Amino acid sequence: MCAVPLSEEQLWEVSADFVADGLDRHERVLYFDDGTAEGVLDRLADDHVAFERPLRTGQLAIVPAEATRAVFHTPLPEARAMMLEHIEGSKAAGYTGFRMTGQMSHGVDRRWPAPFAEYDRELDALVRERGITALCLYDRRRYSDEQIERMRDVHRKELSVPTAYDDGLLRVVRTGPTSARLAGEVDHSNRPAIARLLETTLDDALRSHSAPTDIVLNLASLRFIDVASAVSLVHAAEGFPDTHRLVLSDVRPGVLRVLDRCGAPFAAQLTVHEFDGTTDAGRTGPGPVVGPGRHGGGPGHGNGGTTGNGGTTGNGGGPPWTTDGHGDGYPHLREAR
Amino acid sequence: MRIETTRTAAPVRLQHACAMYSSSADLVTQATPLVADASRRGEAVVLSVRPESEARLRDAAGSARVVALGPDTPARSSGQTTAARLARELRELTSQAGAVLAVSEHDSALDGIDGRYWTELDAALNVALTDLPVSMFCFYPELPLHSEILDGAIANHPLLFERGRLHVNPEHRAPRDVLAGMPASPPVLLGAPDLDMVFSAWQLHEVRAAVSDLASATAFDVSRSEDVVLAVNEIATNAVEHGAGEARIALWIAGDGLVAEVHDTGEALTEPLPGLRAPHPADPRGRGVWIARQLCDVLHVWRDRSGTHVRMHAAP
Repeated sequence: MCAVPLSEEQLWEVSADFVADGLDRHERVLYFDDGTAEGVLDRLADDHVAFERPLRTGQLAIVPAEATRAVFHTPLPEARAMMLEHIEGSKAAGYTGFRMTGQMSHGVDRRWPAPFAEYDRELDALVRERGITALCLYDRRRYSDEQIERMRDVHRKELSVPTAYDDGLLRVVRTGPTSARLAGEVDHSNRPAIARLLETTLDDALRSHSAPTDIVLNLASLRFIDVASAVSLVHAAEGFPDTHRLVLSDVRPGVLRVLDRCGAPFAAQLTVHEFDGTTDAGRTGPGPVVGPGRHGGGPGHGNGGTTGNGGTTGNGGGPPWTTDGHGDGYPHLREAR
Repeated sequence: MRIETTRTAAPVRLQHACAMYSSSADLVTQATPLVADASRRGEAVVLSVRPESEARLRDAAGSARVVALGPDTPARSSGQTTAARLARELRELTSQAGAVLAVSEHDSALDGIDGRYWTELDAALNVALTDLPVSMFCFYPELPLHSEILDGAIANHPLLFERGRLHVNPEHRAPRDVLAGMPASPPVLLGAPDLDMVFSAWQLHEVRAAVSDLASATAFDVSRSEDVVLAVNEIATNAVEHGAGEARIALWIAGDGLVAEVHDTGEALTEPLPGLRAPHPADPRGRGVWIARQLCDVLHVWRDRSGTHVRMHAAP
């Protein structure tokens, strides 16, 4: 399967979900690094996924950039043999499966189009014959439009993650009727996006009797907020009706300091939960949060703009890459679980 | 670093008085009854005077709480920076101790080339201390080296302290008017910057990345580095928000920290010295520069025909 991320944030988000999903299923996970592994590991930490132990035991392995690049200079049969070895080794070690992802853009730089496509076909064969899972990522920074279209065609499934907003600097994903997750940085350039998000979310919450009265923004992956944006969050909470609260969860220390300096401690309807760095910490959100794209029935605000056109949406039918039988093999946001 | 924000607009006001002295002994003679009275009223006393004078005035203070502020060399001839720092200290002190008497003595070491530092300092104090229960007595020599110092002192102080009595100063003028006649001076020139870039509102993240890279390459720890990035971001944001849409930033990494200069070609600021007044909680504007002032060791704003300029210095 493939995904076409809009931004680095989304690339990290999708990759981290894919890795975490594999770890959950007790599969062996191989990540081919070429400059993106750090972002993915950071995102796993934000998501409270315990990856240190899997890294130690070898369940999760990061292939260094030089080795990733070398794959494309290895003759195809050899590369295939190497992969088979990995797959057999995983089975022998007692893992329930094998999955791989990473940054393969070096291949396209060097060997576009024929050899790159050949490698991809070979991988596809392994997916079919051996039941492994592979996620290929084609973002617009590293691939041309033509390359993306071509690679889209040869993949059987394209993952799409509902995106409420993504400008490359800030990414917002709705995670429930009144909750969202922010990743990246908020500053003067995209401050209005946050204001709009809060406004529509509050509006949804007020209109629906069944909607939670807490508007929850998960800020685990928010790395920067400027003063005016922090002030606008505080002011927004102060403007909420008595019945509703704004909850900022998993707030990083740097962002927390800005909020504190902007009057957050004095806003009665604002609750701020600090990020708890321990990976086995419980989810801080209130109750189970409904997964993206699944709260059917509602008008689906903010769920427009899915990535690409051939996206898999909805929850009908088990996707073909589901190797185990629990039917929930849909790779979705960690939030959703 | 923790930063206190104001919660209420206090009805108190700064009392800012100018006094002249002919000698150190004269200063002590004049200030002693002030300090003794403050002590009787249970007020804290802040002293920024020569060591000999300080010892004598401490005696006069008796059991009152006395806080001595040493000479402010790190301010690097930026009067507004000294004022911001004094405001921070006095805000903290008054929140614990209530009313405060402050006595300061002119120090010619800070005169610079024309004594402008003192005019900028007093104008900035009028802005920065305005909502604090502070009685501040600024002692100036009758014959300073630069006559501009006395001109500035007379213009800046709403009150005059003469022969042991306070009276209204008819020549007092608002800080904006004072600074229009004698604007804040540019700081000393630095050499070629380590990084120099032009940016727009959509490139603020590049500015932050550049500052973060430089800061983390030196002795800044994570949280200090984040704070410095925030400070520079706020000044840079102001430059593109109020300026011409594009602004320039230059960065230096020096032995004692990071220096950043932001230049914009926008129209004159409505306030000549922004970010000195603690922002009211309900006011969405003006908080950025105020927080930046709290986070930087020096934040100096000056204007000239080409636009508005800000120099920041942050030590690790």
